[in-house]
Amino acid sequence: MTQQRRVAVTSPQTRLAHARRRAHTAWRPSALDPADAERALRVFAAQRRRAAVAVAALGALVFGLPVLLGALPVLAEVRLLGIPVAWPALVLVPFPAMVWLARWHLRHAERVEDRP
Amino acid sequence: MIAVFAVAPVVLVTLLVGLRGVAAMRTTSDFLVASRRVSPLVNSAAVSGEYLSAASFLGVAGLVVKDGVGSLWYPVGFTAGYVAMLVLVAAPMRRSGAVTVPDFAEARLASRPLRVLSAVVVLVIAGLYLVPQFRTAGLVLSVVSGTPYWVGVVIAAAVVSVTLAVGGMRAATYVQAFQFCFKLVLFIVPAIWLLLSVGPQVRHDAVHPVEFTHFTRDTTVSFGLEVTLEVREPLTVGTPDGSRTYPPGDLRVTAGQTLVFPEGAAVPGVRGGAAPGGADWRRPLLHLGEEGYPLLTTWAILLATVLGTMGLPHVLMRFHTSPDGRAARRTAAITVGLLSVFYLFPGVYGLLGAVLVPQLHLSGATDTAVVALPAQVDAGTTGAVFTTLLTAGAFAAFLATSLGLLLVVAGAISHDLVPGGVGRLRFTVVAAAAVVVLLALPSARIDVGVLVTWGFTVAAATFCPLLVLGVWWSRLTAAGAIAGVTAGLLATSGGIVASLFGPPAHGWLAILIAQPAPWAVPLAFATMIGVSLLGRPPPWAAAAMLRLHLVERGSRTTSTPSPERELDGRDLGHSSWATRRSSAVRRVTRRLSR
Repeated sequence: MTQQRRVAVTSPQTRLAHARRRAHTAWRPSALDPADAERALRVFAAQRRRAAVAVAALGALVFGLPVLLGALPVLAEVRLLGIPVAWPALVLVPFPAMVWLARWHLRHAERVEDRP
Repeated sequence: MIAVFAVAPVVLVTLLVGLRGVAAMRTTSDFLVASRRVSPLVNSAAVSGEYLSAASFLGVAGLVVKDGVGSLWYPVGFTAGYVAMLVLVAAPMRRSGAVTVPDFAEARLASRPLRVLSAVVVLVIAGLYLVPQFRTAGLVLSVVSGTPYWVGVVIAAAVVSVTLAVGGMRAATYVQAFQFCFKLVLFIVPAIWLLLSVGPQVRHDAVHPVEFTHFTRDTTVSFGLEVTLEVREPLTVGTPDGSRTYPPGDLRVTAGQTLVFPEGAAVPGVRGGAAPGGADWRRPLLHLGEEGYPLLTTWAILLATVLGTMGLPHVLMRFHTSPDGRAARRTAAITVGLLSVFYLFPGVYGLLGAVLVPQLHLSGATDTAVVALPAQVDAGTTGAVFTTLLTAGAFAAFLATSLGLLLVVAGAISHDLVPGGVGRLRFTVVAAAAVVVLLALPSARIDVGVLVTWGFTVAAATFCPLLVLGVWWSRLTAAGAIAGVTAGLLATSGGIVASLFGPPAHGWLAILIAQPAPWAVPLAFATMIGVSLLGRPPPWAAAAMLRLHLVERGSRTTSTPSPERELDGRDLGHSSWATRRSSAVRRVTRRLSR
């Protein structure tokens, strides 16, 4: 038995289209159905509000924590289980908080989209 | 021997997993974005696998040894970038239907020059990121097995380009997702073993650091690079030709020299770095040399890493492999969780490294701290096994990251600059890998930290404003985007070139020159907004932006059609052009500018 070369089965048009040199197609402005436009505008406004809240929370967490640690050098002296409190605070505070924030935003963003 | 056991399986498994992903590939979309069929869980594992480069696997722990506990802010910034991505760009960017970032720019703003400029920025960022990956592959292999530097570079390039040229994005996805699990296990298991077997004394020392001022035992340090040490009191060291005594002053150690520091000798100083365990080292904020302003430095680096992550082209490209916008958003959310698990552990390696291998900061080789630790804890077989595991993990880290970067380079050249088919893409992958090898060969001595920071800062000041404004601001114009991207690219590159070759600066000025993100990113945003406001957005601009926020048909969980549409009684599938008139859309979107 001879080994046969495997060939992708495509319609003649597709084969022609793939064989043709791909020129850069002219750009067309995207069409938006007027009925969809109304809805898109609502979703956009709601998502923008959500995003502003989430970005503010993220900024407060990521840029506020260094301020807190810088302003309270005593945190590097106080020890919990022998470890200076400020060190685990760098790991055990931001990561769980970010996971929670991601979950929270995901849920709300999807709810906004599911609204009829 | 270690090299063979560590690297050979990783290389083989990469090729095998990659070949599993080979499928019939006919279109550019098949090659670059795996036909957009990747589920959120697999995709987020692939994103994490691609993102956890040598900088995360080895670099963060090394920075903790060198600069102190404050270096743990880097992983926080790396992860926070995905929260920002989830909130601001993931879903709308995927809905644009683009394949690469330049594609997105053209889809949103219809400007060919902007597409070309974005492709050039992609090449700059990918180059700055790719050269350090190949370089570290060469260095790690030469440290563990003594092979010449170029061997590791060539092996890495060959494996990556073959996998990509054959399998494209689909192969890259499977390899990266697999390597994430691999890296996670190879990072966590040795960390727990180290913690359990170091003994109570080392554990106590790790959390009660004392400044590294005197050698506690005879210490051999081999210097891979030329270093100038500051000897403070007469120092007797052992060299291969007998012991020598140096008077106080500068001591220049040439590359390749090995010195034995005797027990009890004072540790010489290293220019531009504090000794592990000192007051600066213990403070949970970052510092740049001895310039002060720890809070400013920490903020500058957080800004660059958070916004830079959002603009990294190889990460953005992974999001285009999701089937729809919602899956892209879920991918970002899961990635935050996966990265958070991984980043719990670099601190463990860093703190143990500062106790067990503090001498690495003399030779500037703190990047090898992770790999050097097991041998310090157990000189026998167990230690060697864990060294092998960690080396394998590190090698996997270079490969996964290089795969994504090389693909994005090929995409920028063969999809954006000179559009061509799949055949040209395959060829470009191999050619680009060859060019990067040529660039990486002479860069063994370069401080890669600078290159990676540079890459992140360029991304933060170019693609981050382009994407954020493109998705959320309908008045952005092509001219504004071009001006902003150019301003960001020039400002960040100018700052970093000035810090490398310019006149010395001090204090906050030095920090802002070496870490230009705090002023370059606002500058790029301001330029984009200012120039856009001077011009007029085209009439379709608002519709083009709103389309990015519209959920794709069929991907909503509640599939009941809205009641108002049913009342409308129109069959949307057959609506005539009269109701789709762009003037009707414009009437709706005019509310945006009010």
